Amino acid sequence: MLLQLNNIFKWVNSGGQRIFLLKDINLEVQEGEFISIMGPSGSGKSTLLNVIGMLDGFDEGEYQFLDEPVHSIKEKHRANLYKEYIGFVFQSYHLLDELTVKENLEMPLLYKKYKGAERKAMVADMLDRFNIVGKKDLFPAQLSGGQQQLVGIARALISNPKLILADEPTGNLNSKQGEEIMELFKQLNDEGVTIIQVTHSEKNAAYGSRIINLLDGRMI
Amino acid sequence: MFKNNIKIAWRNLKKQPFFTFLNTFGLAIGMAGALLICLFIHDELSYDKMFADAERIYRIDTDIKFGGAEIKASEAAAPMAEVMLRDFPQVESAMRFRDRGSLLLRKSETSTNTKEPRVAFADSTFFDFFGINLLVGDSKTALTQPNTLILTKTAAEKHFGVDDALGQRLLLNNADTYTVTGVIDDLPKNSFLRDHSVFMAMSGYADSRSPDWGSHNYFTFIKLIPSANVADFQVPLNTLFDNYLLPWAQNYFPGITKESFLASGNYVNYHTMPLTDIHLYSNRQSEMSANSTMQNVYILSFISLFLIVLACVNFMNLSTAYSLKRAKEVGIRRTLGSNKIDLVRQFLIESGLISFISLLVALVVATLVLPFFNDLAGKSITIPYTNPIFWGILLLATIILGIFSGSYPAFFMSRFMPVKTLKGGGQSDVGGGNVRNALVVFQFAISVFLIVSTIVVFQQLTFIQNKDLGFTKDQVVLIDDVFSAGSQVEALKEEVLKLSQTKNATLSYYFPTPSSRSNGSFVKEGSLSQENAVQMQTWAVDEDYIGTMDMELIAGRNFSNEFGTDSTAMIINEATLKILGVSAEEALGLKMTDDLSVEELRFSTIIGVVKNFHYESLRENIGALGLFMDRQPSGMLAVRLNAGDFSTAIAKIEGIWNKFAPGQPFSYRFMDDSFNTTYDAEQRLGKIFMVFTVLSILIACLGLFGLAAFNAQKRTKEIGIRKVLGASVQQITYRLTTDFLKMVGISILISLPIGWFAMDKWLEDFSYRIEIGWWVFALAALLAIGVAVLTVGYQSIKAAVVNPIKSLRTE
Repeated sequence: MLLQLNNIFKWVNSGGQRIFLLKDINLEVQEGEFISIMGPSGSGKSTLLNVIGMLDGFDEGEYQFLDEPVHSIKEKHRANLYKEYIGFVFQSYHLLDELTVKENLEMPLLYKKYKGAERKAMVADMLDRFNIVGKKDLFPAQLSGGQQQLVGIARALISNPKLILADEPTGNLNSKQGEEIMELFKQLNDEGVTIIQVTHSEKNAAYGSRIINLLDGRMI
Repeated sequence: MFKNNIKIAWRNLKKQPFFTFLNTFGLAIGMAGALLICLFIHDELSYDKMFADAERIYRIDTDIKFGGAEIKASEAAAPMAEVMLRDFPQVESAMRFRDRGSLLLRKSETSTNTKEPRVAFADSTFFDFFGINLLVGDSKTALTQPNTLILTKTAAEKHFGVDDALGQRLLLNNADTYTVTGVIDDLPKNSFLRDHSVFMAMSGYADSRSPDWGSHNYFTFIKLIPSANVADFQVPLNTLFDNYLLPWAQNYFPGITKESFLASGNYVNYHTMPLTDIHLYSNRQSEMSANSTMQNVYILSFISLFLIVLACVNFMNLSTAYSLKRAKEVGIRRTLGSNKIDLVRQFLIESGLISFISLLVALVVATLVLPFFNDLAGKSITIPYTNPIFWGILLLATIILGIFSGSYPAFFMSRFMPVKTLKGGGQSDVGGGNVRNALVVFQFAISVFLIVSTIVVFQQLTFIQNKDLGFTKDQVVLIDDVFSAGSQVEALKEEVLKLSQTKNATLSYYFPTPSSRSNGSFVKEGSLSQENAVQMQTWAVDEDYIGTMDMELIAGRNFSNEFGTDSTAMIINEATLKILGVSAEEALGLKMTDDLSVEELRFSTIIGVVKNFHYESLRENIGALGLFMDRQPSGMLAVRLNAGDFSTAIAKIEGIWNKFAPGQPFSYRFMDDSFNTTYDAEQRLGKIFMVFTVLSILIACLGLFGLAAFNAQKRTKEIGIRKVLGASVQQITYRLTTDFLKMVGISILISLPIGWFAMDKWLEDFSYRIEIGWWVFALAALLAIGVAVLTVGYQSIKAAVVNPIKSLRTE
């Protein structure tokens, strides 16, 4: 078992009223799963993804990640945990505009203290695997949206995470590009990477092995 | 439309209080500083312009080289004024002052004296010449009769009302009786006569009619006729040497010719010094009042310009940085049909509004700090609130400032493309980064330069204060005007010596701190001709002088009462040895005389050599000096005290004083304070540098702070991405901070050589000076970096701890 959420609640207080963002979420994810989170705008999809990614906290409940109690461990430990095991893919790619493709890929490795030679090898490996060797010295602005997202995924994968969290990864892409990205996810999943994606599209959700529907912060 | 502009400008400023505060505060500090300096400079430039026909008045200065000494005198010989008037048709009138030092003054039937620190003899043409009006008395006759004097209002009111002043009799130094024949208003603070309070009739001073062309003791002023050109004046001025000085000298040095005089490297040259230039350009020995220098005016002008430019730069920097927030507004305005000009106008009105608010703040700040500034600058400047010209200039300057600092941001922002800015993706499209960085580099370069200057000035001052002067200036009290004890002076000294607090005491007019000076030219026995004369200080002292001053004899002995012959003995300093070309041992026993005109020459025998001591400021080299034993009435009593509570010692001395000189004002000062006054100008410069260094750093920091805030905001997305990818708070902080430190580093590289060059030039004025050490630059660099880290660090940490999901939201 990769992670387990038990009775997770998250809320904000607004004008004396408690507004629930997540309400009693119970979720178990096994390694190798491909899960799609669906639901209308404001239903809490992104919040749930952020909680799973440890970028956001919650107010009540328990969260076990690889048998570590995320809710009670120290901030630093938690940071190490997600650095080590989780990769993020964003709707608007979030590449750094002033870095080249190669440098963008290298960045997470810098923060994980890999040595120069190792970094080079890993970046080369990733460029190869995604077929973007020819683009390594281009800046994000010189790439199409699909290519940028490709780089985004490559960056998320570069340090071999167990879990990829993707927030509407095809939201900014046309249908053909979107399809290619989803194929890529499928392929990665087949190779053993666990993927959780947020999506609006039934078609994209169908790539996954399991669909979770959210409405007003509650799983239905 | 304009009203609408103002309204929107005001709302925009209110919407961004932090930005408005930074801008207003920075600009106001710059303006207040510049305002004060401008008032200071205005005051410096206004000296002596209030006198009638000031532009036609000149002082005759004399440059002399004779007997190994060079003298740049601000005085001329006694007959000079008369000769000018007689021989030169261009000269309309002439008048002289003769310095009389300080004076004790009392009404003849009372016993309490007041002290007037600056007194001069003046020719009777004084009033007409300078256009000075008498409050009471007749300007035609006021100073014509011997034993008459006039007073300033303040000096007169110490004794009687202005209206009762005429005909009052005053006793001078308890001896001579003078009649008051007039009272004038207090002399303007920005005039060369500002310290003078009493003028005595020249006609009662016999020396003023002396035909002596060799002594230069008279401040001689001439007024040219309106059509005269002073440039045509120099050549005829030089004929005075041939026509007057040479014939006079031949009476004393028979056979002397112009050729033989000049051949030995000697000269006497006369120059004209415009009255209105005296304060800033004249730096001669014994000026009538302490002058400033044009150098100071330039330095201060630069500093004030720096401050204003720094503040403007801040403004531009912050405005372009914050323009990001306005990008959307610009986009909307442009799609709604406003053109570039409208936008430029809107932004200019905003910057104008900020500079007006800043002006108000600056005026308040300037008013509040004016007393401190006056104290610092040694002035009594007031802000001319009622002067419409002042307001006019101020408003004009503010408008120019607003337009100048607003123009770059205005044109910068009005260029924004509507479509891009409305898409909201325009964040990283806001350019101008290089310009902003250059501006920050510029600001810090100025700050680092000022830091270096401040350190060097203070280091030099400390060096001066701690230098081995050849005597010990600490723990010595100088008591003024001891001659008022009359014949009891010696008894007074003996009584003071008996005090347990007293270590030693000596009577003299002459001390190595500002006090009387006397010089003469001495000739060595065996080489009796004026070419071999040594121009030297001749100081009359008593046998306790060297002991009390803590001076060191390197050969021979001190004066002693046991040797009856010591009244014809002299002790010379090392500098004299050098001119005589003998060693200390060889000098002992040599005989010298200062008067070749008498039948029977009177020689003084050298009995000792004293180690060189500094008796002028450290800007000068030490010149030849001789000490003579003399029991004439003395000017000051110097008392070296034992360590301990000085105030009890002084109270006791005052008690003794009142016994021997009842009713006479007891006035004293400490020798080290008196020593420090020699460096007033430097102290002042040092303090002014420090204040404005702090100000410029403050302004630069405000700018950096705003820029760091903006930068952190602009890079929110990047910071978010980096954090999600595993960057720690420390890594992000480091990254954000180092970017700024690079700029500070460049500023340091630019400003250090400039600072070194400028301060090396400044130090050249001192004969005794420090070497600028590398640590000065290291310290300046560290300070700048430290301040920058503190300023930027806060913003960086704040940005680094933000949760990335906030910054990466796509909506």
